[in-house]
Amino acid sequence: MLVSAREFTVAGEYVYDRRSPVRWIISHILRYPWLPVLTLLGNICSSALYNGGSILIGRAFDAVATPGARAAELLGLALLVLAARCGVGLFGIAQISAVQVLAERLERDAREELYISLLGKSQTFHNRQQVGDIMARATNDVQQLNLMISPGVMLIVDAGMFTIVPLIGIATVRVELLIVPLLFLLCFVFALRGYSRALNPVSGALREQFGMINSRLAEAISGIEVVKGYAQEKEEQRRFSENARGYRDLFVQEGRIKARYLPLLLFGIMFGLGFGHALLLFLNGALTIGQVVAFMGLLGVLRFPTFISLFSFSLVQLGIAGAERILALINDRTELDENAAGVAQAIDGEIVFEDVSFAYRDQGPKTKDESKRLESGNDTSDNGTPPSLVVSPSSLVLKDITFTAKPGETVAIVGQTGSGKTTLTKLVNRIYDATAGRVLIDGVDVRDWSMQSLRSQISTIEQDIFLFSRTIGENIAFGAPGSATRQQIEQAARAAQAHDFIMAFPDGYDTVVGERGVTLSGGQRQRIAIARAFMTDPRILVLDDSTSAIDSATEDEIQRAMRRIMKGRTTLLITHRISQIRWADRILVLRRGALVAQGSHDELMATSEAYRRIFARYERDEVASQQSPVGSRQ
Amino acid sequence: MGFVLDGLEAESYDRTYSDRALVRRIAAYFRPHARTMALVAGMVVLASLTETVIPFVISRGIDALAGNPTAQLALALGGVVLVLGSLGWLFNFIRQSFSARAVGAVVLALREDAFAAVMQRDLSFYDQYASGRIVSRVTSDTQDFSTVVTLTIDLMSQFLLVLIISIMLFAIDSTLALLVLAVTPIVFIAALSFRRVARWATQRGQRATAEVNSVIQETVSGIAVAKSFRQEAAIYEDFRATNRLAYRVRLMRGLVLNTIFPTLDVISGIATALVIYYGGQRALAGTLSTGEWFLFVQTLGIFLFPLTSIASFWSQFQQGLSASERVFALIDAEPKVIQTGREPVERIAGRITFEHVQFSYNREARDLRLEASTREPAASLKPLDSSPWVLPDFSLDIPAGQTIAVVGHTGAGKSSLARLIMRFYEFQGGRVLIDGRDIRTLDLGQYRRKLGLVPQVPFLFAGTVAENIRYGRPDAADGEVELAALKLGGGEWIQDLPQGLQTDVGERGARLSLGQRQLVALARVLLQGPSIFILDEATASVDPFTEAQIQEGLDVVMRARTSIVIAHRLWTVRHADRIIVMKSGRIIEEGTHQSLLRQGGHYAELYNTYFRHQSLEYIEQVGAYAEE
Repeated sequence: MLVSAREFTVAGEYVYDRRSPVRWIISHILRYPWLPVLTLLGNICSSALYNGGSILIGRAFDAVATPGARAAELLGLALLVLAARCGVGLFGIAQISAVQVLAERLERDAREELYISLLGKSQTFHNRQQVGDIMARATNDVQQLNLMISPGVMLIVDAGMFTIVPLIGIATVRVELLIVPLLFLLCFVFALRGYSRALNPVSGALREQFGMINSRLAEAISGIEVVKGYAQEKEEQRRFSENARGYRDLFVQEGRIKARYLPLLLFGIMFGLGFGHALLLFLNGALTIGQVVAFMGLLGVLRFPTFISLFSFSLVQLGIAGAERILALINDRTELDENAAGVAQAIDGEIVFEDVSFAYRDQGPKTKDESKRLESGNDTSDNGTPPSLVVSPSSLVLKDITFTAKPGETVAIVGQTGSGKTTLTKLVNRIYDATAGRVLIDGVDVRDWSMQSLRSQISTIEQDIFLFSRTIGENIAFGAPGSATRQQIEQAARAAQAHDFIMAFPDGYDTVVGERGVTLSGGQRQRIAIARAFMTDPRILVLDDSTSAIDSATEDEIQRAMRRIMKGRTTLLITHRISQIRWADRILVLRRGALVAQGSHDELMATSEAYRRIFARYERDEVASQQSPVGSRQ
Repeated sequence: MGFVLDGLEAESYDRTYSDRALVRRIAAYFRPHARTMALVAGMVVLASLTETVIPFVISRGIDALAGNPTAQLALALGGVVLVLGSLGWLFNFIRQSFSARAVGAVVLALREDAFAAVMQRDLSFYDQYASGRIVSRVTSDTQDFSTVVTLTIDLMSQFLLVLIISIMLFAIDSTLALLVLAVTPIVFIAALSFRRVARWATQRGQRATAEVNSVIQETVSGIAVAKSFRQEAAIYEDFRATNRLAYRVRLMRGLVLNTIFPTLDVISGIATALVIYYGGQRALAGTLSTGEWFLFVQTLGIFLFPLTSIASFWSQFQQGLSASERVFALIDAEPKVIQTGREPVERIAGRITFEHVQFSYNREARDLRLEASTREPAASLKPLDSSPWVLPDFSLDIPAGQTIAVVGHTGAGKSSLARLIMRFYEFQGGRVLIDGRDIRTLDLGQYRRKLGLVPQVPFLFAGTVAENIRYGRPDAADGEVELAALKLGGGEWIQDLPQGLQTDVGERGARLSLGQRQLVALARVLLQGPSIFILDEATASVDPFTEAQIQEGLDVVMRARTSIVIAHRLWTVRHADRIIVMKSGRIIEEGTHQSLLRQGGHYAELYNTYFRHQSLEYIEQVGAYAEE
């Protein structure tokens, strides 16, 4: 079996067969071999006892029919029936418990396996993968596995047993009696297939339509200000009605298909035919009255599998589809090479781009329906541009970029959303590799660096800063190799201008943040991230500051924090702040993937029309601010 | 059973309807389908009858065949059972397809009513209630309601079945029938107590699932961070502990939920054994025929199963009723914005006058009749609760064509001004006049078409850029749309979109940047050509290139229109004809940027907080930070 390179392993991890979804599920089930065995045993015993009960009932009839029967015999039979039914219940409980344990363990183990595998994936993988997508697989798909076992597989086993055992029972009564039920089963299989073929597309369309109503409605409600502002209520109402009508039509259609469930008709016919057959045999003396009774009882049992089949099979289908999606993620191999033998040395900080072009390649684990499944969560900004599938010249995200950043320089990258700013920074620490051209650090192609050495000296402060649901202190210390002292943490926080607002919380550095704690503002998160970066002390810093809020009060503090962290490090700075752009050592102006201008502020003012336009409106107002008596700080 | 907890959160517009009122109202929705429902009811009866008759025929057949052992009779009996079985299927088919038709139509009517009601609510309603919950009332609650109808029909048929079987059993042998009936309370008690346990276990299971999902959410989002700081083991432990806990809780739930069927097996076993023993004795004694005895044994199964569903019916039925109650409450919620007239609005010059306006979001609408008699707006209303006025006594006159910038801290009442002009909310005292006409007397639809609004975070609908520009005027020609787009910053922004005007904006415009969304919203306003323009400027930053385009676009939009801008940009306040400085719902300063700065009052303070860092002076000063 292929074992992909992994960055994280757990001792004693169970090894599953990941060659196909079905094999994978089976290997998960076989991890606890006694559970399926117990399930099957419980099932065989309970259905055998149930059908044995029917035969006992038939015997009671015979006992009464034979002359000279005694009440004592009857009592014995009644007690036996009771015992059989109690047995059915007991074995049923055993079976259900086993199945339940199996289903829950499958869910738990699959999720754990997925999680461990995620931790083992490279950073490259995670920087590309959408969190929403992973979430869907770790929650819904994994749960689908659970449902597939219980009730899915359990019902199928039940249905199977409740088909086989009555048939055996009938055979013991008299083999000829099997003719009718066997014919029925044959027709049943075809009818069931026809039914599911008719139903599946309609049910799918119905679900889709429901989703459509929901999302369209949610949209109209979130945009209510616009709807009302433009007096478009009538139009919205018309659209809603249209969708709701579509739903109604599908609902009626589905109801009709469900009502037409043919297997039940077949069962009714089979029941009559079987009865006639049994009676004829009785007339011939081939059957006793009790045997007729027993036969009819056994025949009646077949109603259960007739009824339950469709439901259980679709659950299994869904489970396998879920397994496929989970496996796609687990088996995804990133083409990353650790390049452990590569250059490993202290970085000085020179970054050179030589005619660098970049296009996204087809990658990532995707099954058919997936890309549309997760639109939510990824907000605008150019950090998560969805990868396109083919490389064509027009799909180049970056085109022939050439520039040099000297050690310690601050390079501001400006441009509109989608101009390729974030992608450019991702080529530096090899989240992506350039499609053409070279990226050099200290004169060495990034592909020749040891990945570990390269990345450990480059820090990224993302646009959306992620903090764990832990204390602020722990979040800052997260960046420290080994254990950090409180003193070091505070020092980093001070440097990042975060100490004061942290101390303003009642619990100070022990304040828990994140989902289960205090919510921090964007500016506060940013400063904690800067403190975290101080702890790692990188040589190259990538700072995405494009969500800066407009507020002069925190502006000062953030400016200072950023100035400090950038000092002495080569910094690629994506920013909207005019002041940051103004004071960068070098400015790159990107437009649709191309570097349209670069240079210092003064150079650009002289050469770039677009750049001049940004500052033009400030200069026009300069007179005004000079007259103002306020505006000087403290 | 996932639905047990869904959608049970109460909203303050919820009201309690008596069961009778509810049922009457539901019935009204079914009235147009009375004939279909009658047909369905007939089919229910027929299907139940055939189902019970089959074992009866079998039992009588066995007896009859003992007296008259001919092949014809045997075949006839088989044929009768066959026909009955097929008929039963047919009746069920008719019943199900027709009830689907009626239920589908009723749900549609209910949804349309609910949606129409939602569209009529004013914005205070949407502020108060989360949009997700409103959506679930319109879609999911109506769905739940429909399952109740289906459920009721099912129950009717089950109940009929039990009834017919009981009658039949009593007719055959009353003592034995009584014996069977004695088991029913046990089944009921078992089913009911099971439900309680199941509900408890389900709730715990759901909580555990939610917990594990939120830990996964966090740890998955954190993987990238954890990896860059090499902390995988720590977050793995977090995950593992939660995953194991969830496993235990859910296993417990699964075990509890699944014990019901084996239990019922045992109970029906007891009943069967009883019938065999006592029935057999009677058969021996000759007071019961073999066929009749068989009938008892056979029908036990048919008899006990419906009992369990009857036992669990009531709570499900209640759930459905409360779902319909929630939908009706939504339909019946009273609007707060009340128009006193519907005077046509042909043309607006754009003069806006506030006269002693009193406004609060949390208070009830004013009593209009009371006000007509007393003409002292400011004093006519006593506060209904302790919440302070957003606008205690607000007067302002904006001449047609003027550009006004409104500044102030959060909560000063800036946005409320815009909302009152939009007539999104009801005010409690005073008057708002548009060109001297009372805003409450205008036809709202026509009036709002004369207003152009760009909210802080412009809302785009899924679709293309062109479709969004066209939103306010669905009939506009392509050329007009293009023209409107070109008027903004020379149309350069369209070239930056991957497919120009045909670019798909994604859900809620998510594929465009904030700045691009603002440009689309401005183009929308331009196409609509309103007389009054209202802009709530974004507080978030936009890249400097787009920002420059937006400002050029604003120049175009504000030209020759009354414009009210809730300003967050230094550029805007500098270009306004007049700046209104608000604090606690009052105007405390007024003037131009220059004159206000010179005063050194509240505006100067606001300038330091919000605008100073956008000035060239500040930009130049940041250079000094590097040397610190």
